[in-house]
Amino acid sequence: MARLEVKDLHVSVTDEDKGVDKEILTGVNLVMNTGEIHAIMGPNGTGKSTLSQAIMGNPAYKVTQGDILLNGESILGMPVDERARKGLFLAMQYPAEIAGVTNVEFMRAAINARRADDDQMPVMEFMKLLDEKQEILDMTDEMSERYLNEGFSGGEKKRNEILQLMMIQPNFAILDEIDSGLDIDALKVVSKGVNAMRGDNFGSLIITHYQRLLNYIVPDTVHVMMGGRIVQSGGPELAEKLEDEGYAGVRDELGLDVKLTDEI
Amino acid sequence: METKVEPEFQSALTTYTQDHAEPAWSLELRQKMLAQYPTLPLPRYEKIDYQKWDLLNATKPVTTTSNADLTDDLKIDFAASKNLLVEVGKSVMAAQLDPALAAQGVIFTDIFTAMRDYPELVEKYYMKTAVKADNNRLTAFHAAFMNGGAFLYVPKNVAIKDPIQAYYIQDSTRKQDFVPHVLVIAEEGSELTYHENLSTSGTESNLANIVVEVIAKDNAHVHFSAVDQLSGKTTTYLNRHAILATDATVDWAVGFMNDGNVVGDFSTDLRGKGSHTEVKVVAITTGKQVQGIDTKVTNYGQHTIGHILQHGVILEDSTLTFNGVGHIVKGARGSDAQQESRVLMLSTTARGDADPILLIDENDVTAGHAASVGRVDEGQMYYLMSRGISKKVAERLVIRGFLGSVITEIPSKSVRERLTATIERKLENGQKSESDS
Repeated sequence: MARLEVKDLHVSVTDEDKGVDKEILTGVNLVMNTGEIHAIMGPNGTGKSTLSQAIMGNPAYKVTQGDILLNGESILGMPVDERARKGLFLAMQYPAEIAGVTNVEFMRAAINARRADDDQMPVMEFMKLLDEKQEILDMTDEMSERYLNEGFSGGEKKRNEILQLMMIQPNFAILDEIDSGLDIDALKVVSKGVNAMRGDNFGSLIITHYQRLLNYIVPDTVHVMMGGRIVQSGGPELAEKLEDEGYAGVRDELGLDVKLTDEI
Repeated sequence: METKVEPEFQSALTTYTQDHAEPAWSLELRQKMLAQYPTLPLPRYEKIDYQKWDLLNATKPVTTTSNADLTDDLKIDFAASKNLLVEVGKSVMAAQLDPALAAQGVIFTDIFTAMRDYPELVEKYYMKTAVKADNNRLTAFHAAFMNGGAFLYVPKNVAIKDPIQAYYIQDSTRKQDFVPHVLVIAEEGSELTYHENLSTSGTESNLANIVVEVIAKDNAHVHFSAVDQLSGKTTTYLNRHAILATDATVDWAVGFMNDGNVVGDFSTDLRGKGSHTEVKVVAITTGKQVQGIDTKVTNYGQHTIGHILQHGVILEDSTLTFNGVGHIVKGARGSDAQQESRVLMLSTTARGDADPILLIDENDVTAGHAASVGRVDEGQMYYLMSRGISKKVAERLVIRGFLGSVITEIPSKSVRERLTATIERKLENGQKSESDS
């Protein structure tokens, strides 16, 4: 079993225009183990994506206080590639496009980066694994032969993120708004992929605005984030309650002094 | 740059010319250019400062042959190609042409054989139209000291399916200038794919002065690709020049993978109406070397199209300059000149330039340019590294993609693989000296 802990995490980003640091996360606490699916819900601008980027190690996000531990070891000093090899994965909201590098090449490089030089995955084994995962996601060889995300539609990019997830098989996957821009059929396919990963060696942190995704990927725990920290946690029923009452309802119930971005 | 003409060169050249049984016009041209070159001006290229390089300190022509085993490193598959020429220095190691093509009148042979067997045909074009012998000091030097190369002639309406491959290997096991000349004539309606490899064997310091002329007649289609890998001890002037008649096309794909100092002059003259060129250049510079590449397309004819795409990567303390010159002359109505030059710098001590130069003397045209000197895209790096790929491998993947536009244009799979391997090797070597931060 692997364990990911976020302790009193404070994160700032630099406002490029004003040149000043702005604190986005104001003390996040979270513990999750493999075998568990957690969902983080919250209104726009509350720091959900910041949390995912900070865990993964995006250099643009500065941790000013607190810690992130993987199996008891702090990962704050590790560059992003090392965190990935330790078992973290982030399915990105806006995956980069890279011309000249095919998906297949990229996935092989990613898998082999986790293996010793004298133990690289044989091509046949890789292709077999790829076929198997592509089938679950209704993807074709043609997509895998294309350049990495280049010319992919929004839905194709999301599906491609899940394909990478299934090929790499990390301990923890953070899915950052994997449902945004997906129609219901694509949503089902993506969910099918994530559900296929479920098991004792896999944990996932799902970031979403909408309860809809959680009908397909049923979480064990739901967290509500507001004002840069987690304000409430509960079971799947918490997501349904949010759907009924909105974020303003939870805020008022908890007596929080938080302004919601989209509030009129 | 020192220029010297000694009387002994005159007799040495005469002996050299007789040794190859060159026609009288060749000796005459050599002697004339030998006398003239010290007085001619050096060509000028924006931001390429090569004037002090050792490009004119000629060695006396060598008449002895080179060793055949100098081709070993290249692992050339002699059986795989029907149309193949392999030269080490001035010595021909292999020359083969599909008999079916020879029967149609195609000529593909080393330059000395061509001068002997087809003196009039060679004389008609040799340093007369695309690159004129007295154009500048370096072209005249070339005309005087030319010591190898090839002649490719494709008759009217003959289309060659299989690529024509040539290897020109500089013999630097001894002091000897490397001055090959390649002359390609594509007659009306002909079609050909030609690929050349330049490389060095041996560790002597030598100069190279290389001229390639491509003459594309009406409606001829030429696909020209090259991988240049001259050694770090070679100082090079490399001139490739095409001249196009009506509705002709010439596509260039050139990989500038040399290890030494190189000034490259690529020119394409769109003389005929409706002629079209696509010029693709990729370059990697490493160590302390300087590579300056001046790529020029001139639209003379109406409705001509000239596109330049140059991508380069600079490592360590090296310098790479890309000039992209698009010149539309008065009267070239309906023409199009576009160019893109991009340079990636992987080190803080590298120097790079991407200069777009558009000279437009006609109103009814379209023209555009894009140029940038930058670092590897952080977003791409973050994405690749977030999948566990190390910084150096991620960097190489991004760069390979960045240079991919030219690699895909190379006709032979084995050459593509060798170019990819060369790129990997140059990047890995260059990265070794970069910090891990």
